[in-house]
Amino acid sequence: MAERTIRSPLPGIFYRRPSPDAEPFVKEGDVIQPGAVIGLVGVMKTFHEITADSGGRVVRFLVENEEPIRPGQEIVVLTDAGTE
Amino acid sequence: MLEVRNGGFETTVQDYPGRIGMLSLGFAPAGPIDDYAFRFANVLVGNPPGAAGLEITAGGLVVAFHDERAFAVCGADMDARLNGQRIELWRSYRARPGDLLEFDYLQGSGFRTYLAVSGGIEVPPVLGSRATYLPGSVGGLEGRKLQAGDRLPLGEPSIDLGRVIDRRVQAHLVPGYPGYNEVWEVEATRGPQADPDYMTREDMDAFFSHHWKLDAASNRTGYRLDIYNWQWARTSGGAGGGHPSNIIDNGYPVGAVNVCGDQPIILCVDGPTLGGFICNAVVAKAAMWKLGQMVPGWSYIHFKEVSLEEAIDLLARQDATISEENLERS
Repeated sequence: MAERTIRSPLPGIFYRRPSPDAEPFVKEGDVIQPGAVIGLVGVMKTFHEITADSGGRVVRFLVENEEPIRPGQEIVVLTDAGTE
Repeated sequence: MLEVRNGGFETTVQDYPGRIGMLSLGFAPAGPIDDYAFRFANVLVGNPPGAAGLEITAGGLVVAFHDERAFAVCGADMDARLNGQRIELWRSYRARPGDLLEFDYLQGSGFRTYLAVSGGIEVPPVLGSRATYLPGSVGGLEGRKLQAGDRLPLGEPSIDLGRVIDRRVQAHLVPGYPGYNEVWEVEATRGPQADPDYMTREDMDAFFSHHWKLDAASNRTGYRLDIYNWQWARTSGGAGGGHPSNIIDNGYPVGAVNVCGDQPIILCVDGPTLGGFICNAVVAKAAMWKLGQMVPGWSYIHFKEVSLEEAIDLLARQDATISEENLERS
């Protein structure tokens, strides 16, 4: 099974939800399309969307909600949709 | 003309020293935060040190050249590539029409990098400067950060291109940036509102010894530090307000450490020009460049106290360092 990761291009605080009371953008097990938003990075009082460059099934997150992240840090593991 | 193919996260046109002399009218100077890297980039390509160039924050910029130009990139490593070939920082290169210059994301420590192009960027000056003041949507290109499709006019280079390419800044003058979770030493003067009238001696001792964590929300307006439990020398701000950090509104210097309640915030190049909180210290002008390379959410600051005379001397030495004489042929 082809696992791959999505990285953050930015340093900052990682958020899994669009707002504190909202549902997460994506959850483990979700099948997502290319371009899907998987989280936000907050830095300099602005929020940048992290998007999936390819589609697939979300295997697991490598970063907790509201955890500080570095540029290039791996955020989430995807695998081909349909595989477990 | 320089064509923007991707504006990156936050890329702005800046010049140095920016829109100065207008604090009394409510205008912050803007300009590059790391003016050391910015000015050296200009010197490398034969421009006056303050000529308009680009401040690239956190990467992502892609530009295409339409003329033959000298260019230099100084500051943080963003894996800059000319037509796919990695280029060195703190060095001048030749670009030809059609050449593509691409910046990826940050590769290590540092947060901003600066692109100077021979002839400088010739957007129209506003109130005497081409610097972009983002909170006021003034200057630069339409007062905003760059985006794909922008076309930046360039000035006429004053020096023959062959004389300014393939030069580099002497290695001992290229700053090393502290890494993630590491401490920057930042020179600062005490006051104007410090001990004994506003804070206690112990408060100021703590201020100059604590390792202050830089908040992720820090930007060109303010650099937010951690909340601290100050003793204070007063129980209230009197006519200025109920909290001892309150004073009657007064002007703020650029680089002031503004203590708002219990939170110190360094007022940066786009910061407010007046207000009603104390400023217990001011970052030396020659140390302001360091703020530009700190990583919001990761860097720490240790303020090192200097006298006003020492701060002036630091600036004179910095200005003298940024010179043609400190370049070498590569």
